[in-house]
Amino acid sequence: MSVGTTQTRQGLGSRLAALSRIVELGPGRVDPKLLTESGQLLLRAGDRLKLSSDHTVVALAGGTGSGKSTLFNSISGLELSPTGVRRPTTARAHACVWGLDGAGPLLDWLQIQWRHRFARASALDKGESRLHGLILLDLPDHDSIRALTDNEADRLIQVADLVVWVLDPQKYADASTHRRYVTELAGHEAVTIFVLNQADRLAPEELVECVADLNDLLRREGVDDPVIVTTSAIAGDGVDDLKAALAETVARRRAAIQRLEADLDRVTLRLVKVMPDVGAPAFPSSIDDARRIGLTDALCDAVGVPAVGEAMENVYGVRSVEWVGWPYTRWAAKLRPDPLNSLRLGDLRDEIRGLTGGSVSAQAAEVDNAVHALSDGLTVGMHEAWQNGIRDAARSHSAELPQLLSEELSEIAPRLDRVPSWWRLLLVWQYLLVLLFLAGIAWFGTALAYGVFGAGELPSGLAVFGEAASLPWVGLMVLSVLGLGLLTAVASRNFVMLGAGNERDRLEREMRRRVGAVASTMVIEPVERELARCNEFYSALRGVRG
Amino acid sequence: MPVDDAFEAFRRAAEAAISSVNEVAAAAQARNDTAPPSTGTPAAPTGGPASSTGKPAVPTGKAAAPTGKSVAPTGGAAAKGSTGRPAASTGDPASGSTGKPAPGEDVSDTGASPAEGGAAGSPTGKTIAGSPKGKNAGSPEGKGVPSTSDGPSGAFRDGGVPPLRANTREEKPEKGSKGAPKEAEAVTGVTGTAAAARSAKAEDDPLGAGAGAEAPAGIPAGVPLENSGAEAREGAKTDAEGDADGDALGSVSGASPGEGAGSDMAPARDTRPDPLSERGQDPDEIALLEEDDQDEDDESEGWGEAARADRVRELPLPEAVSEALANALTALRNTVTDLHFGLDLPGAEEARRAQSEILAQLDDYVIPRIHMSTAPALVVIAGSTGAGKSTLLNTLANAKVSATGVRRPTTGTPVLACHPDDYEWFAEGDLLGSLRRREAPAPKAEPGSLVLVSTERLPTGVALLDTPDIDSVVEEHHEIAHRMLDAADLWIFVTTAARYADAPAWRLLRLAKERGARLAIVLSRVPTKSRDVITKHFVRMLTEYGLGEVERFVVNESKVTDGMLPDHEVTDLRMWLTELSVDDQRRAQAVQATLSGALDSFRVRIPALARQLEAQVVFRSELRSDVDTAYATALTEIEEATRNGALLHGEVLARWQDFAGSGDLMRTLHLRRPGRFAGKAGQQAPERLSALKSALRAGLESVIVSAAQRAAEETVTRWLHRSGAGESLAATAGLGHVSDELSRRTGKAVGGWQEHIIELIRTEGVTKRAVARLVSFDVESLALIFAVGLFGYGSAEAESTGGLPQRLVHALLGAESLRTIGAKARSDLRARIATLFDDETSRYIRALDGAGIPDESIATRLYQATYNLEVAR
Repeated sequence: MSVGTTQTRQGLGSRLAALSRIVELGPGRVDPKLLTESGQLLLRAGDRLKLSSDHTVVALAGGTGSGKSTLFNSISGLELSPTGVRRPTTARAHACVWGLDGAGPLLDWLQIQWRHRFARASALDKGESRLHGLILLDLPDHDSIRALTDNEADRLIQVADLVVWVLDPQKYADASTHRRYVTELAGHEAVTIFVLNQADRLAPEELVECVADLNDLLRREGVDDPVIVTTSAIAGDGVDDLKAALAETVARRRAAIQRLEADLDRVTLRLVKVMPDVGAPAFPSSIDDARRIGLTDALCDAVGVPAVGEAMENVYGVRSVEWVGWPYTRWAAKLRPDPLNSLRLGDLRDEIRGLTGGSVSAQAAEVDNAVHALSDGLTVGMHEAWQNGIRDAARSHSAELPQLLSEELSEIAPRLDRVPSWWRLLLVWQYLLVLLFLAGIAWFGTALAYGVFGAGELPSGLAVFGEAASLPWVGLMVLSVLGLGLLTAVASRNFVMLGAGNERDRLEREMRRRVGAVASTMVIEPVERELARCNEFYSALRGVRG
Repeated sequence: MPVDDAFEAFRRAAEAAISSVNEVAAAAQARNDTAPPSTGTPAAPTGGPASSTGKPAVPTGKAAAPTGKSVAPTGGAAAKGSTGRPAASTGDPASGSTGKPAPGEDVSDTGASPAEGGAAGSPTGKTIAGSPKGKNAGSPEGKGVPSTSDGPSGAFRDGGVPPLRANTREEKPEKGSKGAPKEAEAVTGVTGTAAAARSAKAEDDPLGAGAGAEAPAGIPAGVPLENSGAEAREGAKTDAEGDADGDALGSVSGASPGEGAGSDMAPARDTRPDPLSERGQDPDEIALLEEDDQDEDDESEGWGEAARADRVRELPLPEAVSEALANALTALRNTVTDLHFGLDLPGAEEARRAQSEILAQLDDYVIPRIHMSTAPALVVIAGSTGAGKSTLLNTLANAKVSATGVRRPTTGTPVLACHPDDYEWFAEGDLLGSLRRREAPAPKAEPGSLVLVSTERLPTGVALLDTPDIDSVVEEHHEIAHRMLDAADLWIFVTTAARYADAPAWRLLRLAKERGARLAIVLSRVPTKSRDVITKHFVRMLTEYGLGEVERFVVNESKVTDGMLPDHEVTDLRMWLTELSVDDQRRAQAVQATLSGALDSFRVRIPALARQLEAQVVFRSELRSDVDTAYATALTEIEEATRNGALLHGEVLARWQDFAGSGDLMRTLHLRRPGRFAGKAGQQAPERLSALKSALRAGLESVIVSAAQRAAEETVTRWLHRSGAGESLAATAGLGHVSDELSRRTGKAVGGWQEHIIELIRTEGVTKRAVARLVSFDVESLALIFAVGLFGYGSAEAESTGGLPQRLVHALLGAESLRTIGAKARSDLRARIATLFDDETSRYIRALDGAGIPDESIATRLYQATYNLEVAR
């Protein structure tokens, strides 16, 4: 065994390994029939490579009456397979083995019945040593009405290392041979020999024409360089040529591998046809940042993150008025008639007040659309099978995703009725100022009454309140208390808004972070797994192509 | 040379037949004078006794049937064939009958037949009797021999009546025997087609001359023997059915030609062993021959029965019926032409092929054929590549008319060879009318053409058509071959010793069986030494297949020179063809059998087409309902989502909280106060309002789009699950997605809906009067609040406010108008979404329509056409 053979064997091995990877990755993406065939090829290759590599299985195939059995007998030199004129003649495959050592398991694998096995070991002395290692199979026909219900010929044609098509001048162009096998097995030139048997029935010039026609026909069907041997099994002409061709094949010990390679090539061709490889680095195996951000944005929109933040800010602003606002305007507003009350819906106000927030929820439809947009954008130009695969991967958690997002974000959702303590302090301060104002008003009134109008005498302890001279100062104080309250209200409102703005920013960041995390585990990861699978598939496909 | 021998032998046999006929007739006449019933013939071993004389009355009817049918539409053709020949032929039978009385004895013992063959013709010198011989020898004078008898003879024996038939009816003999000979003679004398129809008249006229004279008015005197016999039998049949007495005898007279049809070839057959003595020793051959003879009887029996089963066809078809048939066929043809199988269902490909086959068969064969049934018969040679079809044709034509060679496949263009007399007929006839005629084969096979050659060696009335193979790699050949076979009156199936077990060959045989085509099988290239084994095996296979009774010919493997086999190899076949040529009646029967086989096959094939069409219709509606179901589900989902609050999540909810919580909600309401604040209503910054509005809009849009997307995927998934056409349709680009314009259209629709709500509230939302006095509100805001309530705010979550917007709107508008507006708003939304989805579904409908719209009515029309065809037959 030469070095080249070993190398090829490794080549074949790695290609087969790649094929097995494809068979693993393929389900749901590739036509199941093709995968089944690939699987069968793997099994067959495994079996064949395990079995004797010193033997070459050569099958004589052809239509009924082409002379397969006669040729078989003629090559083996013995009347092993019955010949006859009744059609079809041979019903079960016969085998003749040159060099029996180690051929048993191979014959078992080929499912050749014991009584149809013959050995030519004893015939070695007849100068047949060059055929040592040949297992010659005489197949039943594939085109008679019996063959419709019996697939033995079909089965053995698929597993033989070398197929010898026995044709005859009458049937060499039959559709049953060409359409079903020859065209299908195009690319198997190295492991196919065409024999035009019954050459004795034609005149020499007719034979030449016939061979030329057959050659043309085969080339038209994609058999690039057909090996055509003319024989006459009865007269014995050309049988030696065939034997020589067989001997060469047997001696090289390469037919089994060549056959598997040819089969592999065919399967690969079909795989590439259904899964055209679009080019080397077509699909990234990970999702880039732009897409991640796009997904997070879309999901945030689905949850309404910006709206939640805005609502929080606005509601804080409105609520804060009740605490930190100038009390006088509040009281004034209360004096205005309430339309709700006039509609006898007074409790609605409480209800609106009760809109406490705290429950952020995701809208399922928008979540769905966001996920769909991601997979759609990713799969542009992909094969439909992978498009569907990635879409399904992206959607794998779409049922629980909205719920999950809602739960995740509700944890940090702002309570709209939250009241910070400094609001309370300010409220106290405002009421204090109101008190001061009231006190000032009282002083002012007292000073006015006693000091200016001299309404009477104040108790001595309180005389200081009755001085008219203090009047401007007291008035000033009252006004400044009012002004202070207004100022405080304005300032604190600004503080509230500032704080709410900060709070909103913080909230939005936090929400985005959480949405991003959920998206990553629930959407990005499955999609990346599928992408990896896709890429692996294509690299395996490239591996199979060798 | 062997051929000449064969012909010589044939001629002798024929002459013998004639003489025996004359003898019989004479004898019959002699007896008739005394005892008319006992018209048995001495010549015919099986005939004779009085009792048997009458029996044929029944079989006559049977036998007459196919003939009557075949003759009817072709009166013209028959006339054409025989016109101008009677003069020459009149003398012939006389000499034949007088000159050679002796051989009659010889022949008569071979079977019942020869006597009957002649028996149609009649007894005395006055009668011009028909002679089969003339035709067999190919001499023109023998072609048609008119028979007119005016004597009281009408002597008819029923020599060859098989016992089976004889037993069928017992009463008839009585009538037959007592019937006046005159009557019988009258019927015999009638020679025209018309005469059969006018049998009543013939019956009244004791002298056949009257009828005889009248009948030929329409039809030239020279009517071939068989025809005259046939007509006689028709007359007989009519009589037997319609008129109780006397006529029965007429039917007796018809009996003989009836047999004649079956047995005409008997002499010819029996002569075969003579020239080919070496074959006489071949037990197989003899077995075959015997079988063949047996077949003959069986077949005639079969025909008789078929005819009885279908009485409509027993009479010569009046013009009206023929026209009705033609019309029915034309109608059928038009309907079949209208068929279109757009969807690639399993079976659609077959149906398309069947459709074109049926069309081709109607055009090439059936429609031309019903107009001229006795026109030359077209015998199509079909078989495997390399079986020697062309060689066989060349040999029979004795000229290299079709190319032979070692290349497979050899013949690409069909080659039709016929006698020069028939040449014009084939050159201009409608049979295979769609094929272009060519004089010589083109170097390169061109589809749609037919090479037409004439050769003297072929008998008249029989044309041979060499076809491409049925099993080579060139698939167009199979199609051409099948088309030729569809136009064939008889099939000659050629296979070889190496091929007879091939699957394609048996497929073709099964087809022949299904179509009821008349078939002959040639087993060619048989090695002489293994001839017995192969023949036996092949016959066994045929028998197992139910084709054991088909005529078979064996051709030995022999040297082919110049594309021809040695002539002696095909003697049997040539004889068979010659018989067909000579025996118009037999040929007509064969033609008719194949024609009715073809018509019968329509009973199955047309309904099969109709079923496929129905399957297409059903499948299309299934695909259609897939689309509808998916989108109906989507619509339901949307309705659900817009009812149960599912829409009010995410941004919509947040905006609502914003809107309500920030007090804007309250600000939409204003106490109606004269003057001061009245103008303030619309002045607020509408940020939050418009944000809520657009959030609602976006939410609704996404619900719709997502539902549409799911519906699209669902549809494609459903289509993919339908085997066959669904997959290819589902592969149409873009069907798995929503259409590109959907989101734009949805935006428009939702916006339109929001406007609609505002409009509704403005017009319908009559505020409660009590409220209206106190409060005014902003319509736009109220519309939003209303929409939020409509979408089920608070209905899903218990912790929520429990329908704040609903209560608000309820308080403002009152229950009555709220209900009205709610219902209107929902139905409007539904209508808008339905419109959107209609646009979406139209993409699928377009994809479906792209595959063609099957017309349901065509299926009905097909059934109707089939029925009409049956009625017309």
